[in-house]
Amino acid sequence: MSLLKRLSHRVAYLFLLPTLAYLIGFQTYPLVENIRLSFTNLSLIGRESVEYVGWENYRHFLAVDKQFWSILWNTVVWVFGSVLFQFVLGIPTALVLNMRIRARGLWRGLILIPWVMPVVVVSIVWKWIFDGQWGILNFFLREFHLISRNVIWLGNPQTVWPSLLLTSAWKGFPYITLMVLAGLQGIEKEVYEAAKVDGATGFRLFWHITLPLLQPTIFVSGLVAIVTTWTKFELIWVLTEGGPGNTTSTLATYIYTNSFVFYDMGKGAALAVMSTLVVLIVSLFYVKMLRRSSV
Amino acid sequence: MRRLYSVGMRYVFLALIMVFTLFPFFWLVFNSFKPSREIFTVRPTLRIQNPTLENYKWAMGPKGANLGRYLLNSIFTAGFAAIVTIIFATTGGYALGRFLFRGRESIAIFLILSQMFQGPLIMVPWYKMASALGIINTRLVLILIYGTATIPTCTWLMSGFYGNVPEDLEEAAMIDGCSYFAAFWRVVLPLVIPGIVAIGLYSFIIAWNDYQYALILTSSDFAKTVQVGLAELIGFFGKTSWGGIMASGVLTSLPVVMLFVVVQRYLVEGLTSGAVKG
Repeated sequence: MSLLKRLSHRVAYLFLLPTLAYLIGFQTYPLVENIRLSFTNLSLIGRESVEYVGWENYRHFLAVDKQFWSILWNTVVWVFGSVLFQFVLGIPTALVLNMRIRARGLWRGLILIPWVMPVVVVSIVWKWIFDGQWGILNFFLREFHLISRNVIWLGNPQTVWPSLLLTSAWKGFPYITLMVLAGLQGIEKEVYEAAKVDGATGFRLFWHITLPLLQPTIFVSGLVAIVTTWTKFELIWVLTEGGPGNTTSTLATYIYTNSFVFYDMGKGAALAVMSTLVVLIVSLFYVKMLRRSSV
Repeated sequence: MRRLYSVGMRYVFLALIMVFTLFPFFWLVFNSFKPSREIFTVRPTLRIQNPTLENYKWAMGPKGANLGRYLLNSIFTAGFAAIVTIIFATTGGYALGRFLFRGRESIAIFLILSQMFQGPLIMVPWYKMASALGIINTRLVLILIYGTATIPTCTWLMSGFYGNVPEDLEEAAMIDGCSYFAAFWRVVLPLVIPGIVAIGLYSFIIAWNDYQYALILTSSDFAKTVQVGLAELIGFFGKTSWGGIMASGVLTSLPVVMLFVVVQRYLVEGLTSGAVKG
């Protein structure tokens, strides 16, 4: 047994202590505090004293607030739609970038630009592309006679969701590509050769060999993508602020508007607790996947 | 013939993907050099008749976006967030990457879970906590909250970097009479400098790109980051000064895109290691 492994656990704990203290204080504690606040009527304005109101905040959303259920549905559309399209774009891109092509390293680097760009800038660019009057999307569609009149993509309840999902897919697919590329590189060449000897080619090779072998990668990166989309409201906020009306409000934007626009932080906290529960379930699933694969 | 065809298709797909990926970024940079007259046209052109730096002057100047102050705030907060992350991740990562101790797996799981609960989930208590501590609307509060987003991932990445350093080195140092901490400081740390640079730049990028925390926790000119300033521009000037907004967007994204080019190789390896294992 090596010297270090024999060592007192003390040294390891000592090295870990600062990190653990930081995360418990600034990350775990707020999550717990959130639960406490969700039972209060904490507000930023007016009220002097904070009172416990029991389950009132939860009751408000689950039984009274008619918007809550449609917002929950929006969240599901937003999260699963985004992740689905990220895979639809991300997997083929990874396949192409895994082939023998010139300057492959360069393309693999450039593909990550959307992922690393600040989300506010991404929103600005796409807002301009979608613009109802001057946007280039309308221009192209007009040129190809796919539309006869300009569409106000972000202002119309029918087109706002596809537009948001396209933007979200564009921003997020490089991450999927990155992960799938890594997964592809882990597949032994012999597997393909064996399959080719058996006469499998092209799409069948992909469907019966590549995809099943990629399954763990797809699960792991999919769960991360779900959580990331679930806990961010920035893209929606800059592009539409949840509008028109409440068409594109999700739980994340609703937490923000309740807490920081209506200053009703107790209600915001209650929404956050419900949202946290969902993330917790997905995360536990993720940890289980990781542990199974590392055994 | 068939082979030639398939090789050709490869490049057709590649071209389609790259155009889709890069066009929005290109469109941003390209429009930032157009004068207003050429931006607001019914037929967008792929040629600039009178290229101009007007928009950049607007972005930096007092008459327009006045981004300078916000850019400095961002450099300050993101820089310190990176330093804080390095301090915590190099120590925590060392423990995880080097020692077998009771509870190691639970702590690894704790780290993985911590990075999941972000943004709206912790906003309300953070706001309350920051108000109580009197640090609301400061750059300090941003530095602290960015740590919660970067430290879990970076601790994890660092433990991987330590794993590549041979253990004999520390053992030799300790036989020569170094304490644990001296061995860590003088022998091990210098060997993981590439890792430290990678996580530092990674945290810088994460902090720089953040919008949601800065939106909630800062509103004064002394603390506001460039992302908040930029988002406000759309509301104020969204109808008139698109060129200037685009130029501001370029100034805001250029630092991270450039940093990313530098750090990409190290990061990609670390971030995807989970996928390969799977």
